Amino acid sequence: MNEGYLRELDAELSVVGIRGSRRRRILVETADHLRESGDPARFGEPRLIAARFADELATNGARRTALFSFLALAPAGIGYALLVGLNRPGPDITSARTLSVGLAAALVVALAPQISLAAGLLAIALAWRLRAAQVAPAAAISLLHRRVAVALGAGAATLAGVAVYAVEYSRGLPDWWTTLAFAVTATAIVPVAVAAAALGRTARLRAATSGPGGDVFDDLGPLLDRVPLRLRGRPWRFCLLFAAAVAVVAFVGGGLDEGPRNAVAEFAAICFGFAILGRFLGLRR
Amino acid sequence: MRAETLKGHLDFLLLAILSDEPAHGYRIIEELKRRSAGAFDLPEGTVYPALHRLEQSGLLASSWASGSGRRRRVYRLTARGRRGLAGARRDWRGFTRAVEAVVT
Repeated sequence: MNEGYLRELDAELSVVGIRGSRRRRILVETADHLRESGDPARFGEPRLIAARFADELATNGARRTALFSFLALAPAGIGYALLVGLNRPGPDITSARTLSVGLAAALVVALAPQISLAAGLLAIALAWRLRAAQVAPAAAISLLHRRVAVALGAGAATLAGVAVYAVEYSRGLPDWWTTLAFAVTATAIVPVAVAAAALGRTARLRAATSGPGGDVFDDLGPLLDRVPLRLRGRPWRFCLLFAAAVAVVAFVGGGLDEGPRNAVAEFAAICFGFAILGRFLGLRR
Repeated sequence: MRAETLKGHLDFLLLAILSDEPAHGYRIIEELKRRSAGAFDLPEGTVYPALHRLEQSGLLASSWASGSGRRRRVYRLTARGRRGLAGARRDWRGFTRAVEAVVT
């Protein structure tokens, strides 16, 4: 009788995405338990047990992956900031070996880090909101996975963009800068790849608990409610306010020469990003 | 006791049981029933996901032990688990004192 139960549990664990050593361990523990109790009925329905494993491990795994991914992106962020700080004034934007490739790389290097940082911070905010949950709604776990995936993807794109930028503009850059750019890319991509693999493992688990995934107003509610502009439930108002704040910072940071151009570019980029990725990242429903 | 009521306190109960000595899953469940005089009688399989999650969170550690020709996963409390248990005990005592004061 126990063999039949174990076969059924094995199949159900497979259905919810629990594989490899975790699944083998669960089956050995269950077999041992059933030898003692001799009563599979008391253990619970295989489908429900498998679902419970998936829900609990997916919730915990998603939270941990969010934190780990944020930390894994730190070397890329530090390396990027260092390279940007040491590349002033940069080479003439039209001096690329192949202009279209050089411009594309420059655009990626300018935008992708901001997307990565925003998605990473959103992932941390959601992981914090779910910190006490034994089992989170599947929709919230899925949203957390998407935010982490975008943060890691944009982080990897940044590093790739830096390497391409270094090649394309090598004639106008010091040799030590291009060497440093390749070293940063080669080093910082490793933790990003490890985090992506961890995300892949945890995203395989199929949580099934119903409930809303929430949005940025659920994640940052206590913070946003302090802003006296009734932002909750008004995503575009939130977007415009945030874009305006970043534009002011860009304006001040860029000075009279570059400030106005940078401010307009930042404002437009944030609004564009919000329109494209807003729903995917749970910024609006 | 309703399973849903117990679920909210399951982590605390598992940590408390393992604070005495390491144990395997079946023993933990039996101890849960014994200490509660049968009141805590969950579907036994639902305890294992919690044990795996607590281990993933670093509150428990586990290792294989062999004996009588079988392999068993034995769980034990980590230092972090001990700190978590101490905090949960404080919270629980404060909560029960407050409830007692209201209802009696």
